Amino acid sequence: MSNQTVHLPDKLDIDTIKEIYDRLQSMLRKPAQVSKISIDFSNVNHIDSAGVVILEKVQTDAQKKGIDVAFENISPPIEKTIKTFSGKIVQQPAKKIKPHLLEYIGEYTYKNWVIFKDFMFLLANISYYSFIAFFRPKLRRKGEVIRQSNFIGVTALPIIILVNFLIGLVLTLQVGIQMRPFGAEIFVAQLITFAMIGELGPLLTAIMVAGRSGSSIAAEIGAMNVSEEIDALRSMGIDPVPYLIIPKLFAILISMPLLVAVATFVGIFGGAVIGFTNFQIDFYAFYNEVVFALRYYEIMTAFVKSIVFATIIIVVASYFGLHVEGGAEGVGRSTTRSVVVAIFLVILADSLLGLLFYL
Amino acid sequence: MIMAQPIISTKNLFAGYNETAILDDISIDIYENEITVILGVSGCGKTTLLKNLIGLMKPTKGMIEILGRDMIFIEEDEYNRLMRNVGVLFQGGALLNSIPISNNVAIPLEQHTNLPFHLIDQIVRLKLSLVGLEHAYDFLPSQLSGGMRKRAALARAIALDPAILFADEPSAGLDPVTASALDNLLLSLREQLGMTLVIVTHEVSSIRRVADKIIYMDKGKVLFNGGLEEALASDIPPLQKFFSV
Repeated sequence: MSNQTVHLPDKLDIDTIKEIYDRLQSMLRKPAQVSKISIDFSNVNHIDSAGVVILEKVQTDAQKKGIDVAFENISPPIEKTIKTFSGKIVQQPAKKIKPHLLEYIGEYTYKNWVIFKDFMFLLANISYYSFIAFFRPKLRRKGEVIRQSNFIGVTALPIIILVNFLIGLVLTLQVGIQMRPFGAEIFVAQLITFAMIGELGPLLTAIMVAGRSGSSIAAEIGAMNVSEEIDALRSMGIDPVPYLIIPKLFAILISMPLLVAVATFVGIFGGAVIGFTNFQIDFYAFYNEVVFALRYYEIMTAFVKSIVFATIIIVVASYFGLHVEGGAEGVGRSTTRSVVVAIFLVILADSLLGLLFYL
Repeated sequence: MIMAQPIISTKNLFAGYNETAILDDISIDIYENEITVILGVSGCGKTTLLKNLIGLMKPTKGMIEILGRDMIFIEEDEYNRLMRNVGVLFQGGALLNSIPISNNVAIPLEQHTNLPFHLIDQIVRLKLSLVGLEHAYDFLPSQLSGGMRKRAALARAIALDPAILFADEPSAGLDPVTASALDNLLLSLREQLGMTLVIVTHEVSSIRRVADKIIYMDKGKVLFNGGLEEALASDIPPLQKFFSV
């Protein structure tokens, strides 16, 4: 058992503490050999808060091992700095106990029940105001329906046209190749018409709009939420649902059926192009087959689907926008979730409507 | 007689956003261990001056030196090394919202030192207790009030005990008791660690408590540059009005 002395350098700051700390810790690792550590401050002319932290840490560790630590030759200014920063570290409270599996399931179920309740409440609120706001335009932001229709509808046209044209083209090509051995290539016209109008036109358009406009709406409302703009509206006696969401709902209800109509037409046109180039079906024959296949029932199906999908996209985007938690990261997370949930619900609704209309 | 070298210096500084000129011929010297308060009405260019001083904005003309380094032609690596000695408290706190307060304070320590985790953790706890936020260790910034976020940001700014601390409105949004405690902390940082502080503030009570020097700005120009007593006794009308309100 011996007394050890450590002479500190002139500066004990964040750049020099590592070496001193390691030296002192190596002494503390041999409690059988060391009974006392004297820390000599005679050279020290500068100490910062990190320096004080290691001295406190060494003192605490030494105490646990029954080793005495003595600070020697401390000048008054250095002592003052040590006093300023010492005794202030609050140790971490005990770690939270891990919840039981049943507690976890209960919490998860309750959380989802609250989400469902809030979602239904928002849906009811939007339904109510979509009716009321129709007769009271003052509730809505002026010019917003046109601005949003332009954003959701007009600016989405190029990508909707491109995607649906390519899908119509590829689908017709693949089906035509299967039909060629039977000499039934001409029926691709009816098939692509049914596929585009009843299923792919509304579905692909809804997925594109959910990814493009739904995410943007969720991010816009979410950012307004975190920057307290929504609170500011409420404090001015303005309900954010008719003011912010209803114009977007009207805009998407106008745009979606039109986008679906364009998407369907372009998809069928893509089929006609591949029919003409690969299967020698002239445009007039293709047109006749399309007209033969078209029924009001299919057109109504596509219209109903577009309205339902539009409502899902707007309600989901608004819900996630209004329920953002945290700052910028929360907005990003909510936007992603809004797109995923909207696409899932659109596909679910598509399946249910498919069963309803065709069973 | 040997003249002391300024730790922060600008000469004939002009800066602005796009076509709009904000700073108009700013020449100031700030010396080690001083607390300099930059004053002025809203929109007079205080924050723009601060952004120029810390290198976040390049001036259109003039010279800026921090700790003897030219801030205009500084290389990125040298700038990063220099900023290890400079702490900045932004007006809105600028905490990273996705990580807890403790991790926010630990960022500069993890990036600029090779200390083991448990020591960084101890330093973080000390800094949080210095600003009265020891209980907020695990909290996310979004779970704190505006004033608490400001204090957490101050803890991050002083994590490395920098030589210079720039603080944009440190006591804005704080209650008088916490604001006074914060002023005492700033004074003790200067006294104990020899820190140089450059503070932008409107709080007259805080200015009276901490300021050594006052720089009063008006429409992008420095209207007054001198000691606190001199500023209080000044007959420059806007400055008189500022202290009499």
